[in-house]
Amino acid sequence: MQFLKYPGMKYSWFKKFTVGIALFFTFLLFLSIGTLLFVLSPSEIFSALLSEEMLYSMKLSILTASVSTFSVMCCSIPTAYALSRFSFPGKSIIKTVLGLPMAFPELVMGLALLLLFGQSFLGPALEAVGIKVTFSKLGIIIAQFFVSFPYAVRIIYSTFEDINPRYELVSRSFGYGEFETFRHVTLPMARSGLFASGVITFARCIGAFGAVLVLAGGSYMYTEVLPVTLYLNISYGNLEMAITSGILLMGIAFLAILSFERFEGGRP
Amino acid sequence: MSFLEVRDLCLDVGGFELDRIELKAEKGDYLTLIGPTGSGKSLLLETIIGFYGPEKGRIILEGKDITDLPPNMRQISIVYQDHMLFPHMNVFENIAYAIRKKLRDKKQIEAEVKQIAGVLGIGELLHRKPATLSGGEKQRAAIARSLIVRPKLLLLDEPFSALDARTKEKLRKMLKKAIGEYSTTVLHVTHDFEDVWALANRVVVLRKGKVMQSGDPESVFRRPSPDFVAEFLGTNVLKGKVKALEGKLTVIEAEGLEIYSSDPAEPGEEVAVSIRPEEVILARGVMESSARNTLKGKVSGVFKKEHLVVVEMEMGHAEIKVVVTPTSCEMLGLEPGREMYAVFKASNARIIR
Repeated sequence: MQFLKYPGMKYSWFKKFTVGIALFFTFLLFLSIGTLLFVLSPSEIFSALLSEEMLYSMKLSILTASVSTFSVMCCSIPTAYALSRFSFPGKSIIKTVLGLPMAFPELVMGLALLLLFGQSFLGPALEAVGIKVTFSKLGIIIAQFFVSFPYAVRIIYSTFEDINPRYELVSRSFGYGEFETFRHVTLPMARSGLFASGVITFARCIGAFGAVLVLAGGSYMYTEVLPVTLYLNISYGNLEMAITSGILLMGIAFLAILSFERFEGGRP
Repeated sequence: MSFLEVRDLCLDVGGFELDRIELKAEKGDYLTLIGPTGSGKSLLLETIIGFYGPEKGRIILEGKDITDLPPNMRQISIVYQDHMLFPHMNVFENIAYAIRKKLRDKKQIEAEVKQIAGVLGIGELLHRKPATLSGGEKQRAAIARSLIVRPKLLLLDEPFSALDARTKEKLRKMLKKAIGEYSTTVLHVTHDFEDVWALANRVVVLRKGKVMQSGDPESVFRRPSPDFVAEFLGTNVLKGKVKALEGKLTVIEAEGLEIYSSDPAEPGEEVAVSIRPEEVILARGVMESSARNTLKGKVSGVFKKEHLVVVEMEMGHAEIKVVVTPTSCEMLGLEPGREMYAVFKASNARIIR
């Protein structure tokens, strides 16, 4: 929405004030990103990129984020559908709990998970069957999962809400069951929303740091994903490695936002 | 036992409610449900098809209680005002999707789709996506999709109300033909009288979730019982008081007019009089006739409606609508400001309470 132009607009101090703030801070943000990109020479970036540590961290990041994204999607689609279509006892509680991690510091989430898998009955029980969550690669995936799950549910929920349930009713009336209807009608109609949430989930999993650090521990070349590489190298004072992993993370985020915009904007 | 029986149906979904609905339809009936917005018409259809479970009451189709069956076991189809064609499928796939549960053979499916598409004149549109079709085309595709399964019952939820008058007319004809060919029983929710006249053999009037009146269109339109029905069906309603009785006739003073009615009433009683617009004759002068009512008035407006002309007359404090043919409109030179006489029989001035 836009206001109509009116004669006094030219002298509006309020307009100058708001536009000024918008310009100033966008400029600062842009400048900081630019510094990140241009502080190193291309050859320095290149050598950092090809270092053993960076390659390991990249590979691990992409692997864990892919597995997490896949499991998040598998769980958030049914969750979002249940929240959107059915009424059941405890629905509002589930909605509140799922909304919590959005305002909840990631670090606290990591601590909570660490206590759950390390201290409570669950950790020893899992370890008895040979599954170790804390300070392991599995821990990275679990941490990423819990950090991005609420966001995925929220996006998919609003996608399902946008689909008129009457489409499903019409399909049912032709003799299709609930699951058949979901597969043939609801899922294809939700595909752009599902794609968008997949992209956002992947980006969040790649960038998840606090929870991953606490639950999986940031150990060199073992549970080292890209944000951990950045963190470890800053603490050693190894700026080249830190900056390069920063650039990588930024590039992934940029690609994610780009494809998100493209698919959200161009709904079929 | 009737083909479809709705017994004592109650449901409240907040904002809309059904209150002890009783409904019957025979096989092959075309039943229209009319009523103002919010009268629970759509809710009734969606309860019959199984979208909502009623709090009380039963729905019986072909002698079988279907109240607790899921929608996919009921063999009932529905067409909505906004068609609900699946946007990710083209017209062919939409129609074929409906029949795929009944037929496995691809050739057979294709033949069935072609046949119904021919009946509804959408043979050329089969490869198009719903988003590229006009409103009328979408609705024809939706009707084709619902009819191809030969449902026991077809539900229509204001299928024509988003279309322009000419498209409506054309679609009504096509629907009538298609329904004849597929011999379907229909429940049609509408607020358009043309739908009732052109298609239905039975009418049910709903208001606030209650059945107010039902019968064949002729009798409902001619003998509108409660005040609401009369108002809703677009007849002239005049409020007044019974002045005297003259032989077998009742004289009513209503909105500055003296009206003779053959319906009985008590002197001093507050009543309303209903006069159907098509039962009034317009005359240039006072004529001798068997009609007891001759009222003088002034033309205040002349409107075309479909193939007829609606004339609005100022009479006393009331405004009375009269329907005439375009020919008589021309012959009488009807235009705003002209003085005319409205003539109608005492038996056509119905007292409603």
